[in-house]
Order: sequence, then structure tokens, then C-alpha cells
Amino acid sequence: MDGLQEKLAHCFSLAFPDLPAAEISTASAESIPGWDSMAQVTLLSLIGEEFGIDIDFEAFEGATSFQSIVERLKEMGVDG
Amino acid sequence: MRLAEALKLAAPQQAAQQRRVELLCGFEPLHLNTFVKAYLRQRFPSDAIVTSTGLYGDLEGNIQRSSGKSEGAVIVIEWSDLDPRLSFRNAGGWVLAALKDIAQEAEERAKRLETAIAAVSKTQPVVVVGPTLPLPPLTHYAPMQASVLEARLTSLCAGMEERIAGMQGVKLVSRSAIAMASPAGERHDLKMELQTGFPYTLAHADQVASAAVSCLFPAGVKKGLITDLDQTLWKGILGDAGVAGVSWSLEAKSQVHALYQQLLASLAESGVLLAVASKNDSSIVAAAMKRPDLLLPSESFFPVEASWEPKSEAVERILKAWNVSADSVVFVDDSPMELAEVSERHPGVECLQFFPDNPSAVLSLIVTLRERFGKEAIRQEDALRASSLRAAAAMDEERTAQDSGDFLERLRAKVRVEETDGDDARAFELVNKTNQFNLNGRRFTKAEWKERQTEKGSFLLGVSYEDRFGPLGRIAIVGGRVDGNTAEIDVWVMSCRAFSRRIEHATLRAVFSRTGAERIVLDFTMTDRNGPLQDFVQEVSATPKISSGKILITREAFIGACPTLFQEVTEGWTDSKKN
Repeated sequence: MDGLQEKLAHCFSLAFPDLPAAEISTASAESIPGWDSMAQVTLLSLIGEEFGIDIDFEAFEGATSFQSIVERLKEMGVDG
Repeated sequence: MRLAEALKLAAPQQAAQQRRVELLCGFEPLHLNTFVKAYLRQRFPSDAIVTSTGLYGDLEGNIQRSSGKSEGAVIVIEWSDLDPRLSFRNAGGWVLAALKDIAQEAEERAKRLETAIAAVSKTQPVVVVGPTLPLPPLTHYAPMQASVLEARLTSLCAGMEERIAGMQGVKLVSRSAIAMASPAGERHDLKMELQTGFPYTLAHADQVASAAVSCLFPAGVKKGLITDLDQTLWKGILGDAGVAGVSWSLEAKSQVHALYQQLLASLAESGVLLAVASKNDSSIVAAAMKRPDLLLPSESFFPVEASWEPKSEAVERILKAWNVSADSVVFVDDSPMELAEVSERHPGVECLQFFPDNPSAVLSLIVTLRERFGKEAIRQEDALRASSLRAAAAMDEERTAQDSGDFLERLRAKVRVEETDGDDARAFELVNKTNQFNLNGRRFTKAEWKERQTEKGSFLLGVSYEDRFGPLGRIAIVGGRVDGNTAEIDVWVMSCRAFSRRIEHATLRAVFSRTGAERIVLDFTMTDRNGPLQDFVQEVSATPKISSGKILITREAFIGACPTLFQEVTEGWTDSKKN
């Protein structure tokens, strides 16, 4: 995992405390029952705080997996 | 606190005791809920925190639907709760016709909210946060000019908050405290509000939650303040400048000392014990304390320790005279060396520095002292506290010269024992802060305390005392349940100011009288600090060594063990109250 992915994994562990660490990198809204719209907002708020960026929730619509969020962040020019 | 830290603290925990709090607002509670849980967890680390919220857009309904059975409710009002058109999520129109209607609607809703808050506060403690967000720019005025509507809404809100602040069982979060902690321009997250219904920035949600939780569950209040004199209570060194040379005024460029004296006067009025620990000649200190322009009476200070010994020794004597623990005391001095010396010998005492050349630091100290000693109500007993300590010292001096029985007979003591109930704030305060004469150390939330009084056969008595040295006010509470000819006492506390007057004997006799019981069972638990009560129970139960559990005292045994009581006792219940 690179620096960005490690920070993102930390956000996932806080947003989904019951999610085992080994499953974070493959996590998605399909695999985590508690990943609803409010959990998405909490996760994105944590990401904004962790990376020091202003998050536009609409820009992350459809980004409902660890990997898709990584891609979205990289597209925004965010690095670890 | 950052959101990440709050989420860690707010994560569900297994614990023996659950603490339930309701968070009632009209917006999506989201991160505010997280921060409230986090601050509750910090405050109560061994409890499992459970919060419940309500429905979006229906604050009034949420309050009405409150279970009333939680440890407390945090009610957060925003402008949109007074009229939905004051929300950025609403497109109800900013035209003139709408504005007039908004003002009227807001008045009606404010009244209904006040009624709902008054009702819910009858069964649980409530904290209210008034609107903290900016109003939308809905009038035709340029933004720098306040519109009539804005002034009217602000005035409406102020009136509502004034009435809420005066409601029993309700606390209002201070608008100016929020303003200091959360700048007005940094509270609103419009993007978040439009996308999720949650209107606060993370930083503002953090501050609102912190303020609400600290109002709902304030940390323990300190009991006493020990102050230095030179360069603290006044500007100047008394030994060098002389009595007339020390100052505390604007003219003498020493106004910060006047502000400090004003604070001490206010603290004394609210029952805080004040004492002096000064390295000075005692006779010149006595002369200076008699200056008529001192901003508080010199009698407010007891004891006044002025000597050349280490201040830690003065603090030791003061703690003994007050009969309080070190962790309930604050020491204020301008000298870091003196603070360090006292702190080393008395690590429980909180030592705070007075910076005479830094007015901002003095203001910050004053605010900190308000936090340490802040209380909601000032009672008759508060005004008596310092004078009763002084009287107790005088009494002890006289007692040592006389036989104990003769002495008590000459006290001309009067004891009043009367029925009270779950709404008695002084009784609730005594039960939750008394340690030494405390039957079992049990503490109660407001809800538990009120419920206790509704149980079948329950009784609750308050004891007040005065003698020729002065009144002590209400100093003891005893309560329990009667079943047939047995009265079980499960609550019994007495202020340590009332020791050595056989009031506890008079109290037990009053319980026999009030209940008509032939047997009293004490629900006793030994604690680290209830030694004085243990001694008494051993005496009246004629038990050589007591341990935690139910302790039986028959009327006959009590009469045999009870020493002569000289108090004049009046009872405040009718015969029909006897069970």
C-alpha cells in the first residue's frame, strides 16, 4: 500500500470499525452492510480531514469502494 | 477534537453501565451526534454511551416524543426550526409577503418550543443550544445593515433564550462562550447542508457538542480558593509599600487586581471558601485587610495565613481548617516558585499563576476560575459556609476549655427536621457531594433521585441546624422506606460543618418518630472517606466492629446508646404522614 492508500485505509477503519484490516483494500458498498449514504458522508468527511482537502460529495458519487475512491483521489491530484 | 478522534471515542463499547442521552434537533444530526457521543465518552470513560435522535425537520415533535427517561437531553435549535424558510434547503421565497409571514410563524413556533422544553425538563435534565448559524440574506437590505426582520428575529430569540435560561432543570449554552470558541464566519457548511441536511462545519459541531456536554454534565465544582496577596490580590509588596501603598485601581494602573478582587467577592457570595497564604508579617496583613476600599469584606477570608514559613505549610493548615480534600482547592499566586513548592507538597491542589502585567492572562485566569467554581444556584447555605467555619473554630476553642456535655447544653441548639421531596435541590446537592458522613457513598442522577421518592413507603427528611454561634442551614438528608415496623435507611448524608453537635443522634431519633418504626436498618457501605459515619454507627448499634451490609438498630438499643441530646427539635410533618 502506498501512502495515500494507507491514509485511506485509516479512514475506512474509523468509518467501519468492525471491518477487518485485511478486507479494507477490497471493501465496497456491496460487501459492507453498514455502508449507506450517511456512512458515505462520514467516510468522505474523514477523508477531507485526513488529506486536508475540501470534499465535494457529488464528485464522489458512485465511488463506493476502496479502489474507486483511491482512483478518484488520484484524479484530483491528491497524494499520500 | 478532530472527527477521526471523535469516531474512535464514539465507537460502541461494552460496559456495565449505559448512559443514555437524547440529541434533539431539526436538522440531520450526523457529525454533531458523533461529537456528542465522543465528549460523553470522555466524561464517562467507563459507561457505554447511547444517544437517540429524532426525525428530520420536526424539532418540536422530537421534543414531545422524548422518552423523558434518559440521563439528559441536548436540544439544538436553529433558525429553520422557527420557520423552514430560514433554511437554505428551502425555496419558500424571500419576497416581502413571505418575510412578514416568517416573523409571525417564528413567534408562534418559539412559544411552542418553549412549552415543549418546559414539559420535557420535568423528567430529565435539559441543555438547550440557541441558533448559532447566520440568517440567510433574505431581505432587501445591504448585508452590513440589520433589517427589521433580522432585529425582530434576534430579539425573539433573545427573549426565548432568557425564558429558557430561567426554567428549572434547563441549562442554556452561553452564546458568548460559543462565540469565543467558534468564530461566526466559520460555523456554516452550506455544501454539507445542501447535500446531507447537516449544516455545521466539523469545527463548529465539535464546539457545540463540547459546550452542550459540559453544561449537561459539569465536572466537579471546587470548594475553596487560597490566594496570595502581594502582586496577586493587590499590586505592590506590602512590606515595602506599606498598607496605603498597595493598590487595585484604574488610577494606580492596577485594575487587574480589582477585577480579581471582584471575582473573589462573587465567589464568596456563592459559598466558595477563601483563604490567604502570604509570606508577610501577620500584623501588617491584618492592617491591610482592614482597608475599607478592599472590594470584598476581610471576613470573607478564613483562615488568613501570613508568616515566613513555606506556603505549603500554610496550605496544610488551611485544608485542615476547612476540612476539605486537596483536590477540591485552587491556589493562586504570581510566583512560579511558590506554586511549584505548594504543588510538590500538595499534588491534588490545582495551582494557577496570576500574571499581574498581562491583563489578557488575568482575564483568562478569571474565566478559568469561573469554570472551576461555577454553579447554577446560590443557596442560603452558601452564604453561611464561611461564617459557619469561623464559628466552628470559635466553638472548638471554647469547647476545649469545658466539659463536652456542659458545652453542648450551652449551645442553645435548634434542630428542625422536616419532610422534603425529589424537587429539593439542596437535598440533591448534599447527597451527591458529601463524602465523610455518607451512609454508602451512593450518587444519583436527577431522574433516579426523583424516581426514588415515588417508591411505596418512601420518606425523605431534611435537617436544618442553628445554635448561638450562628445558623448552618440545611445540613443533613436522610431517606428510605418503611415496611411495617421497620424503616430501612438507604440515604443519609450530613455536612462536615455539622459534626460534633450530636445532630446525627437527633436525626435518628427523628426517623423513629416520623416512621413509628421499632427497628431501623441502615443500608451501610464502608468507603475510603466515611470514617465519621462508621464511628457513629458503631456507637449506636453497639457493634464493636461494623462492615458493609444491613445494620440493625432497635429503638430500645438506640435509646440505651444515645447520649443526652440538648437540642430543641421541631418536626415538620403531620401525624398522618406516619406509615
